Amino acid sequence: MSVSLHGSKSDLSLRNPLLVAAGCAGLGTEYRGLLDVQSLGALVVGPVTMRARAGAAPPRAVPLPGGLLLHTGLDNPGLSVVLRRCARAWARTPTAVIFHLAATTPGEVAAAGLRLSGVDALVAVELGLPDGADPDEVAALVGAARSALTLPLLVRLPLSSAVWLAEAAVEGGADALTVGAPPRGSAVHEGRFVTGRLYGPLVHPLALRALRQVAGSVKVPLIGCGGVYSTADARAFLQAGAVAVQVDAALWRDPAGVGRMAQELAAAPA
Amino acid sequence: MTVVQGDAHVVEVAAAGPYRRVRLRIPPIAARLRPGQFAMADLGGALRAPWLPSDADAEELDVLLPSDGRAVPPPGGVVNLLGPLGRPLDMPAPPARLLLVADDRRLPALLLAARRALAAGCPVSLLLSAPSAAALYPLAALPPALEVHLVTADGSAGRAGSPLELLTGGPSPLLSWADRLLAATDPALYPALAQAVRATRLRPPAGYAQALYLPTVVCGVGACGGCAVPAGSGYRRACSDGPFFDLLELEAV
Repeated sequence: MSVSLHGSKSDLSLRNPLLVAAGCAGLGTEYRGLLDVQSLGALVVGPVTMRARAGAAPPRAVPLPGGLLLHTGLDNPGLSVVLRRCARAWARTPTAVIFHLAATTPGEVAAAGLRLSGVDALVAVELGLPDGADPDEVAALVGAARSALTLPLLVRLPLSSAVWLAEAAVEGGADALTVGAPPRGSAVHEGRFVTGRLYGPLVHPLALRALRQVAGSVKVPLIGCGGVYSTADARAFLQAGAVAVQVDAALWRDPAGVGRMAQELAAAPA
Repeated sequence: MTVVQGDAHVVEVAAAGPYRRVRLRIPPIAARLRPGQFAMADLGGALRAPWLPSDADAEELDVLLPSDGRAVPPPGGVVNLLGPLGRPLDMPAPPARLLLVADDRRLPALLLAARRALAAGCPVSLLLSAPSAAALYPLAALPPALEVHLVTADGSAGRAGSPLELLTGGPSPLLSWADRLLAATDPALYPALAQAVRATRLRPPAGYAQALYLPTVVCGVGACGGCAVPAGSGYRRACSDGPFFDLLELEAV
């Protein structure tokens, strides 16, 4: 089964509807030998910011019953270093590579977009939105990316505000929407509050509901993301109107299982 | 280093004081695993559990798990493992003398290094601390050539007090004796331990003292950024840069 995202500047065809979400497979080489990359539709690498970030102070990960809370603070070496270190490896990756750019300001997003347009190894860019962004800010960030990029542009919406922001992202020029970035939560760990993104099977119903709502309000291709731990979870997103699905924390638990999921989806997507 | 995901067959589960010793057969990981490295076990929770084996040969590895910890399958069952993970320890070569500093919970993390160092001909001493004698790993199960110095908080075995009392407050005979130090204790003790090293060794070479720092590990392969450790001037990842770090870089923990 192949997937096509018909964009405003170019089309994106993926061989399988299953992708690995941003933040899960690092910069694309960390799961070498463990993940059947060839069976996937794409790897979404990053998130990466224009400038290097040291990331959040530990503790960053808190185990929870049925999931975990993770706050990395976008720990990454910055766009220039990432491109220098990874572009060749992406060109050798036996599946499509999508670059997740964490949006900061329209100016930085535009500058990053120009750099990324020249990277032959990439098939698309996914823009991650800052928490708390309103529709005007989203339109400005997406518009900046759109005008700078010659690649298809995906925009990952925060799950908690996906419906509110979807139209602004499309008006800004998004070719497709990812629904969505993991929700935020807080937990007490070793006596301290830790706030971060929530991962686990219970995110799936939240994401599925948000995707169905977004599907009713915009006409661009949608990618479901959140709490996918089985082929049935992925098929539920496709049934709800998604053209593709991103798997996130399940990769950390069972990389071989993600490859099997992709093969099962290829054999029987619905 | 090739990382493998595969099913380990449980060969034996035996009580060992406050631990269970679990022997697993998984040649692709056991044969490659070096001291300091670990494997991630899928025990059915949201996260895999990081296991630092206490022994390994070409086909099997042993892990020591707390008796009251998560259930493992009985002999004949399987546990899915990812490994080997992490950076191997820089092991001493003879005639270097190796000092191990461990508490009862983290002792298993040092035992593979102890066995390999002894097999290579290095003298090895262990400073082992515990709340009481009941929390101690059975001494008879330790390698016979290992010299053990015991400290218990309640004095029920060995000396009463804390391990730092043997290592701080002036030049320490144990630290003076050692050419290399491996520590696996509560990271809150590392600044004092680093201070003791500096008080004994004027210019300790890089890697002279290595210490275990293993926060919650999520992916195990350096992809998620969840296991950051403050080391040197920034953060490093326990799963791919560690889980052992230069003790003198952990001073600000």
